[in-house]
Amino acid sequence: MATAAEGSFESEGQAKAHPSADLADFERLMRQHERLVLATALRLTGSMEDARDISQEVFLKLYRNLGKLTPPAIPSWLYRVTVNSCHDLTRKRRPETPVEFETGLVAAGADPQQTLTEDERRRALQLSLRMLGQKERTALVLRDLEGLPTEEVARILGSNEATVRSQISKARVKMRAFVERYLGRRS
Amino acid sequence: MNCADWEERIALYAGGDLAGVEAERVQRHLAECPGCQVFWSGLKETLEELRESHQMEIPAVHFSAVRAGVMAELRREHRTWRRLAWISGVGIAAALVLGLALRPGPLPAPPGRVAARIPAAPLVATVDDAAQTERRALAAADRPRPGAGRQPTLVKLQTADPKIVIYWIAD
Repeated sequence: MATAAEGSFESEGQAKAHPSADLADFERLMRQHERLVLATALRLTGSMEDARDISQEVFLKLYRNLGKLTPPAIPSWLYRVTVNSCHDLTRKRRPETPVEFETGLVAAGADPQQTLTEDERRRALQLSLRMLGQKERTALVLRDLEGLPTEEVARILGSNEATVRSQISKARVKMRAFVERYLGRRS
Repeated sequence: MNCADWEERIALYAGGDLAGVEAERVQRHLAECPGCQVFWSGLKETLEELRESHQMEIPAVHFSAVRAGVMAELRREHRTWRRLAWISGVGIAAALVLGLALRPGPLPAPPGRVAARIPAAPLVATVDDAAQTERRALAAADRPRPGAGRQPTLVKLQTADPKIVIYWIAD
């Protein structure tokens, strides 16, 4: 059941069509889903600036497609459009800086005797995400960080469950190997 | 099956993605393989750390910036639509007014209708009728009349054709 906080978009059962969509209602709708979009974009791009640009793009698309969406379908739709926008951005950009190169830079600037801190472990984990291929990273982010069931991840990615399971398991294995290697070098 | 073949299953198991028979098979292998146990516990630890590292709250300022950007763009679009609608309305109204102002006057009657209304040709053509009329007038003048001495009335009939004029002399 819709709560008052959910606004009129939720209570109508069908989202308003574009011409009559009230901007104040849309802003409330945006507040409900902004974490989903911004956090997913941030995890996939690794850049807050890109994540903000993508979030704006995604919400403008949402506004223009409100008439076609029912409220329960909005989160899946947002995930799918966010993932596609991140992939589009990656395609437009030059290939990412190789992770090994970035790791080397960190190692060169650090004290070899320095003990491993939480920040370093966190950095290793962030880098391990960047090291993954686009599909594996997306599957891992949606499954392990967003906590979506594999079936839902498959639907969002337009793939089948077996493929997504394979991508998730490979991503976990690669990530673990990378973190071990990274922390092994630093210690 | 060597341990490398178990890696992906263990990775699924570590993330809670295996159930039933598959999960039991992995559990049995882990119970008898110390190497895979280390791999499994390391994987679980990494996944937990990954989740923890992404639990950080995103500062509210970023959400506000996104919302402000979206709302500004939507308001700009709304203004543009309203302006276009207003311009279209004014254009249509102007076209209607112009159309009414420049509307042509009543159309000339079609040729067939004029011919039917003005029987000019028969009147002109009937020279005999005119002569007959004149004779009648003269005969009437010869008859003794109660109002003798009164001047006859001359009636001038004009047709649509300015070249044709009919004179009628009446008592």
